[in-house]
Amino acid sequence: MPRSQNKHVTWRVVLASWRVGAIWLGAFIAILVMGGFLVAWSGVYSVAASRGHWPGFRLLLEFGMRSSVRTHALGIDVPNLDDPALVERGAGHFQGGCAPCHGAPGRPSSPIVYAMLPEPPDLGATVPAWKTNELFWIVKNGLKYTGMPAWPAQQRDDEVWAVVAFLQRLPNTTASEYQALANLEPRRQEVPIRALAQGGPIGTGLAACSRCHALDGAGRPSGAFPRLDIQTAEYLFLQLQSYDQDTRHSGIMQPVAAELEEAEMRRLAEYYASQRPVQRQEPAAGNEASVARGQRLATIGLPDQGIPPCLSCHVEDPAVRDPLYPALSGQYASYTIQQLELYKSGRRRGTPAAEIMSVMAERLTAEQIKAVSIYLSGLQAAR
Amino acid sequence: MEAQQSVLSPAGADAQSIATLSWIMFCAAALIFFGVVLITIFAHKGNEAWRRRLSSNAFIFCVGIIFPTVTLVALLIYGLMLTGARVMATEADALHIEVVGEQWWWRVRYTESGAVTANEIRVPVGRQVEIKLTSADVIHSFWAPNLAGKVDMIPGVVNVIRLRATKTGTYRGQCAEYCGGPHALMAFHVIALEPAQFEEWLAEQQRPARSPTGALQIEGESRFISKGCNACHTIRGTAANGAIGPDLTHVGGRISLAAATLPNDVRSFGRWIRDNQHIKPNNRMPPFGVLTDRELAALAAYLEGLQ
Repeated sequence: MPRSQNKHVTWRVVLASWRVGAIWLGAFIAILVMGGFLVAWSGVYSVAASRGHWPGFRLLLEFGMRSSVRTHALGIDVPNLDDPALVERGAGHFQGGCAPCHGAPGRPSSPIVYAMLPEPPDLGATVPAWKTNELFWIVKNGLKYTGMPAWPAQQRDDEVWAVVAFLQRLPNTTASEYQALANLEPRRQEVPIRALAQGGPIGTGLAACSRCHALDGAGRPSGAFPRLDIQTAEYLFLQLQSYDQDTRHSGIMQPVAAELEEAEMRRLAEYYASQRPVQRQEPAAGNEASVARGQRLATIGLPDQGIPPCLSCHVEDPAVRDPLYPALSGQYASYTIQQLELYKSGRRRGTPAAEIMSVMAERLTAEQIKAVSIYLSGLQAAR
Repeated sequence: MEAQQSVLSPAGADAQSIATLSWIMFCAAALIFFGVVLITIFAHKGNEAWRRRLSSNAFIFCVGIIFPTVTLVALLIYGLMLTGARVMATEADALHIEVVGEQWWWRVRYTESGAVTANEIRVPVGRQVEIKLTSADVIHSFWAPNLAGKVDMIPGVVNVIRLRATKTGTYRGQCAEYCGGPHALMAFHVIALEPAQFEEWLAEQQRPARSPTGALQIEGESRFISKGCNACHTIRGTAANGAIGPDLTHVGGRISLAAATLPNDVRSFGRWIRDNQHIKPNNRMPPFGVLTDRELAALAAYLEGLQ
């Protein structure tokens, strides 16, 4: 009997001391929260970017950021980034989307940007300190409290990888190489003074279509950018509108379209649609059997698998084709492959036309997508 | 009104014998049930003499062993005779039809004439019809309860069903084997016609599509090509020769749309083309939300005109 009574008493003591501890802890937290609130309310702490951080605080923040990126980037598989088209696509976006803050080889950013806290780093110097998967994570997700934005189209990992492919090349890219990659006009000395006074010296803003799609709309030989010269004005206008309304998702094209007014979109669409399609004499880069399979898919389809012939809707003759259906004849295979993969994986949805196309793409295998895209790229572009 | 889809209102020889067998079984089962109830009442409430009688070896032997054996053997023999009679030989003047079950509709072809239609089978009254059944994808089952029993449609296998309609009328059939997604909306109609009417209909089915009349229908015909409907559908007599979906040469003359899912009228055509994924979720046709109201009206008018 006394033993069990003893035990009872011990329990009560433990319970009582726990209770006392919990009360103290609660009071402590309450004081902390209220103290924090009071500090914030009083405005004593300066949020001035001009003041810099307290000594040592910056090191702590950077340590936290590095650790967070390292942990969150675990398990991201890095695809093959050696494709020159990926680097070009990344560079094309970098000039409009990244360089304004980070600067680019031979083109330092504005002094305004240097007055940010933290100031956006010169990526040529900082990129080597990050692993490839970490770069991907940062470009895709952005960094809280730094001003680094997330990728606007979270569905488009392929675009993020293009930027990463370019970033990896950035430390070894000279000013003239960058100028070629991003397709920048050299600074002209002979700009009429009125134009200089009105538009400034750069004139290579985000919405400079020709940096990527070229002035004739034929893109670049690498196939980094889709051809616009083969499309109708109706189709091009609809795409710009869909990018603007984010019913067609792209972190590269949405910001461009958002800068344009409807009338500008229409004029640009008409401009590119009026270009004479460039004829590319490029042999289809696939083996013959694969091209033959592609031809079969494009012209006859595979009725047993529910796959209609591509060219029924995407008719070669532009006089017959519906103006809202894009031309595929002569389009770069890499672009057609990429878009079909986006349809197939459900990442290109949202417009009525995408609802039609995704049904078809879901029925195609990766091999069929490749074969048919290569076949279509070998057809003559017509207008 | 006669029930369109019911085993209890047979309109074919085959369905008639199944109905007769069913009625015999229902009635016999009812009699036996009442007999068992009576015996149970006597066993509980009856006097000592009744109880002794009911628990005697002789009673148990007769009612518990002999009676079920005789009844079931008789039923089996009758059933086998019925089944044997159902396996009719193909008659010389039989009409041959091929039906392919596809997710989620029926491809119909008249063997002798080559006429092609979908989701609707018209047959002459009185004449034997032999239907070859198979499937293009998964197992379906062909079942028009007013006319005959059900027969599975199996990919790579041809099953045969022979039936004979005994009275004119419109009967509804249904896929009777779960075949995925909108299985419940995979139905069809069998329309039994007087022989002369049937021949007239069959001759019409063999003809190419009639030309559109009026500006709206003519616009619809060109939209059918430019919007890509022809990639999947055939309209004989035009450039449309797609092989994936139903042949639409005479679609306006059918009594339903989308495998007996919608009535056949202009409004249904419009709804189906634009909103088919809401009407019949996961069906294989993409929804054409790209069409303007005008384009949709033109297509619907054109298709409804294809009588």
